[in-house]
Amino acid sequence: MPNSQVVHVIDDDVEVRQSLAFLLSTAGLAVRVHESAVAFLTALPGAQDGCIVTDVRMPDMDGLELQRQLRAKKIGLPVIVITGHGDIALAVEAMKAGAVDFIEKPFDDEVLLGAIRSALARHAPDAEKEGRRAEIQGRLDLLSERESEVLDGLVAGKPNKIIAYDLGISARTVEVYRANVMTKMQAASLSELVRMVLLDGGVR
Amino acid sequence: MPATTHAQKDLAVLTTALEAAEARLRSIMQTVPDAMIIIDERGRIESLSATAEQLFGYSMDEVAGKNIKQLMPTPHREQHDGYLERYLTTGERRIIGIGRVVIGQRKDGTTFPMHLTIGELKAAEKHYFTGFIRDLTDQQMTENRLKELQSEVTHMSRFTALGEMASTLAHEINQPLTAITNYLKGCRRLLERIDGEPALVLRDAVNKAADQALRAGDIIRRLREFVARGEGDRRVESLPKLIEDASTLALLGVKENGIAVSYRLDPAADLVLADRIQIQQVLINLIRNAIEIMIESSSRRDLEIGTLAHADRTVEVSVSDTGSGLAPEVAARLFQPFVTTKRKGMGLGLSICRTIVEAHGGKIWVDARPSGGTIFRFTLRATREEEEPTRAE
Repeated sequence: MPNSQVVHVIDDDVEVRQSLAFLLSTAGLAVRVHESAVAFLTALPGAQDGCIVTDVRMPDMDGLELQRQLRAKKIGLPVIVITGHGDIALAVEAMKAGAVDFIEKPFDDEVLLGAIRSALARHAPDAEKEGRRAEIQGRLDLLSERESEVLDGLVAGKPNKIIAYDLGISARTVEVYRANVMTKMQAASLSELVRMVLLDGGVR
Repeated sequence: MPATTHAQKDLAVLTTALEAAEARLRSIMQTVPDAMIIIDERGRIESLSATAEQLFGYSMDEVAGKNIKQLMPTPHREQHDGYLERYLTTGERRIIGIGRVVIGQRKDGTTFPMHLTIGELKAAEKHYFTGFIRDLTDQQMTENRLKELQSEVTHMSRFTALGEMASTLAHEINQPLTAITNYLKGCRRLLERIDGEPALVLRDAVNKAADQALRAGDIIRRLREFVARGEGDRRVESLPKLIEDASTLALLGVKENGIAVSYRLDPAADLVLADRIQIQQVLINLIRNAIEIMIESSSRRDLEIGTLAHADRTVEVSVSDTGSGLAPEVAARLFQPFVTTKRKGMGLGLSICRTIVEAHGGKIWVDARPSGGTIFRFTLRATREEEEPTRAE
């Protein structure tokens, strides 16, 4: 990994900021911490290339607004969003705004480091990423038509009852389909499922 | 004036009086707002008020002289003559002057709840009974609806209180948990560069500590997700395995307290549709409560965890203890938030258990153990492996 690349950590919580700096430095990454999105944008002209790891809910300017500002300024630093409020609607919004990944706090170090590494290496053809995509596609292919429909509803952030209504089946039935989807997709949580589909299942 | 003329005149006066009385009765029967029925001592209908005609769907002409029993459903229909006879012989009042809620049957065969009050009058050696009837259909519907609403509201308020708490907790606690995990995982990375036995042991311990912080985050995430959406992450899980895991966690370090644990697991109670972590929380909560109460109050300390498969595709899980038991007034309110018998307790544990179990489509309750102590029971939905749901459900 080129040394010129820096991970910009933006979080209004000083302990989270510093602990992230510590973790990333033990993994050999160069880190710069910023206490707010505004502070980061102020420091931006001199900022080095790399990627951004940012919290979503912050006073003054939230992570989604930061993404909009970056896009307006045509700054192409990849953004990884981390949040303590992992709701699906927020994940979808962040992804649509161009985030390369969405990770719930607290997270396993390997999950974050993996996301950072692939963000930093975004230009290189990524065999690993392709492999991952194929793997997830393979799991998606296992789903029955009904299960796919339930998955679509889940990714859209709909609760079971709404999905049931949309599909004209009972909520209990949706629950069983949902359990099957989670098992077949090997997803540990709903947000992981959504992340999987949004990041790697783009071919659907 | 001849005597006959006197008698005729008297008769005319009497007839007029009688006609006037009948007219008054008819007008009362036409206008009395409550349904009213008069029968004789053999149960034959003498008259029916206009409201009663509407209520039962019969006109006066159709039922005049017929037995009142045709306005009631079985078994009263068959027994009503007996009721009358018994009263006339014994004079024992079972309904007269008391009033009671009974069921009436309309001409079309449908039934409805009604309040019946009976008055009695004697005239010329004959008994008459007057029934005043109030239709309770609306009232009962209102009451049922009120009860439903009330339980919805209690459920919602419990949900909202928990939801707010979970959401606040999630944010406030996830931040320090993130910091803890980051520091620990960073330490593990640094320790990987150090050789030697102690470094290896440290690395392992630090890694395990970080995983526990992640587990705490997982619990909060699920709790929040489920209070926000009312649904957790349900999978097909093995109930015996769930129980084994939960009791292992809950029983950590209790052996010293002389607690004997036994399992009575029904082999038919195997797979359930459940959020593993949430149901484990329920089990851990119940087991810990059982242990605490036994240590506090009893020298006999038998903990029994049991399962039972029911025919309606639910399974029942029970946790029983030999503690001091529960006072009935506590037992009734036990699953409400902030009700506790512990000196140090928020009274949230069982409330959360109830919310979790109910969200799983089950129920939770407490029974007294016949030989002392308490049994907590809850139900879960049983399922089969790879179940393909049908649309016709």
